Amino acid sequence: MSVIMLQTQGFCRLKTSLSHTWQTSRWISSTASLCKNRKSGVPKITPFRTKQLTYEEAIPPSRMNVRKGWLSFNTGNLHEEKRAAQTTFEDFLVRRFLTGTWHRSLTSEVVIKRRHNTIVLSFLVSMERMLPRQVYFLQGYSETMLSGWLKMPVKIELQTVASQRDMIFKKI
Amino acid sequence: MASSLSVKKTRLILGVMNRSLHLSSSLKSQESEKLENKKESSLDSEEFRVYEIKGLKKVSFVRRPERWSKRFPPPRYRTMPTDQDWTDVWPTASTFKWSAVPFPVRQGYVENSSENEGVIPSKYANLELMKGPNFLHLTPAHVKKHCKAIKHFCTQWPEGLDTDEQCQKHFPLESVTSDYVFAGPSLTDDRARVASIKFKLTDLELDNHARDKFIRLVGDRYDPDTGDVVFESNRCPLKSQNLEYVKFILTAVYFESWKRESWEQQKELSDMEQYVWDQNKSSKTCVSLLSDIKARDMASGDEQGKLSYLSEKEVDASVVSDLPEVQQYKEAVENLFNDGESIETLNTYRMAVEKLLNLKLDV
Repeated sequence: MSVIMLQTQGFCRLKTSLSHTWQTSRWISSTASLCKNRKSGVPKITPFRTKQLTYEEAIPPSRMNVRKGWLSFNTGNLHEEKRAAQTTFEDFLVRRFLTGTWHRSLTSEVVIKRRHNTIVLSFLVSMERMLPRQVYFLQGYSETMLSGWLKMPVKIELQTVASQRDMIFKKI
Repeated sequence: MASSLSVKKTRLILGVMNRSLHLSSSLKSQESEKLENKKESSLDSEEFRVYEIKGLKKVSFVRRPERWSKRFPPPRYRTMPTDQDWTDVWPTASTFKWSAVPFPVRQGYVENSSENEGVIPSKYANLELMKGPNFLHLTPAHVKKHCKAIKHFCTQWPEGLDTDEQCQKHFPLESVTSDYVFAGPSLTDDRARVASIKFKLTDLELDNHARDKFIRLVGDRYDPDTGDVVFESNRCPLKSQNLEYVKFILTAVYFESWKRESWEQQKELSDMEQYVWDQNKSSKTCVSLLSDIKARDMASGDEQGKLSYLSEKEVDASVVSDLPEVQQYKEAVENLFNDGESIETLNTYRMAVEKLLNLKLDV
């Protein structure tokens, strides 16, 4: 980073010596930026289309329930049902925990389904850096820890993919 | 111009290298040696550096040894026999497993050829298929197996309860309670304490006064269209307590409606909500008229105008009111008063009167 900075400065100095009309402050903008082309959940296109997206990431939230389904299935938002906020918070907690536990191997989002009082978690695990026995251990570990915290039986129905590359749907 | 530029660039690079010297002390000796060599080469020879055209000179790369690549066993559906028992593969409800499903299936939406090479995503590594529920655990083979397993616990359906009417007759009281199960750490829910009972008003033994009073006491818990009475309670903390409470309400209202208070006697015919033939003058007139006619019939001995339905016995109020002709007349009069005059009620009244008095009108 420091080298790049230095080169940039040197380049500027060089240009300055050639013509004195160069403005060194051209990158500073004092006006408010209008982010009219930025939307949440819609990734920006890279110059050389190198960003790899899964199907879940490629479909914008506006196409929800048309081209892709939800990630949480529960009855919390139905009329006169309770625990909507607790359910949402638990989902957040579960996702954070699984992201950390299956570090660099969790290749998809976590689908959280609640059937009766059971929570079923399903996701895809990349086997690039995992051994089968590690997967079995982490599955049991995650189930035990989450069941203890949430006071509900938690079941993990995961599936494996050979590589993270198998998840690529689109490059932008 | 060109030379001055190149000199400046060289100085710049030197400056960068000088700065990097301060970064680490361990590399200091190596770096300084390199630097000295470079200084000597650049200053002593006083020659420009040779520009190397990329790709002109052959460069030999040392290939890194390939990493040991993992070999995965083939998915389960590749080794499945065609005559396998599917219930063993998919015994219970479960998330879609691409490796265990033997048929090809795709889900997803592809806009153009830049997405997934223009092909709808297959079942492998497809999260969309894992989201929705599936019915792979409810095939006819599964249902057959379930039924076979449950049959051991089934008993014969009781005789005489084949239709809904028979069930209604033998079990007139219907109690409704609810249990709630949801994804939460507690199994208790305060909505589960609500209990209700439902029955038909006609199943209770009530006379006219008691029925009227019962309807007034229960208010809108009685539905006149269906004839159902529903008592519901959530005031007690437990379901069983609420169930007992609504049964107590039923008992209390029943006996209360049979009671006749002293002020209820003050109700007169003009206070009646509906016309009741038995309590009105019409019934007494009818009885006296019929007894009169019978007396004259006996005296005259004429067979033609005689009222044939009147029995040989004495004519009194209880006998007369049970006669079908009188019942018909009673209904006709009540309809005429309660529903109002219309062509239908007037016609039925006319027919009833003709039958009652054995009139033969040749119009």
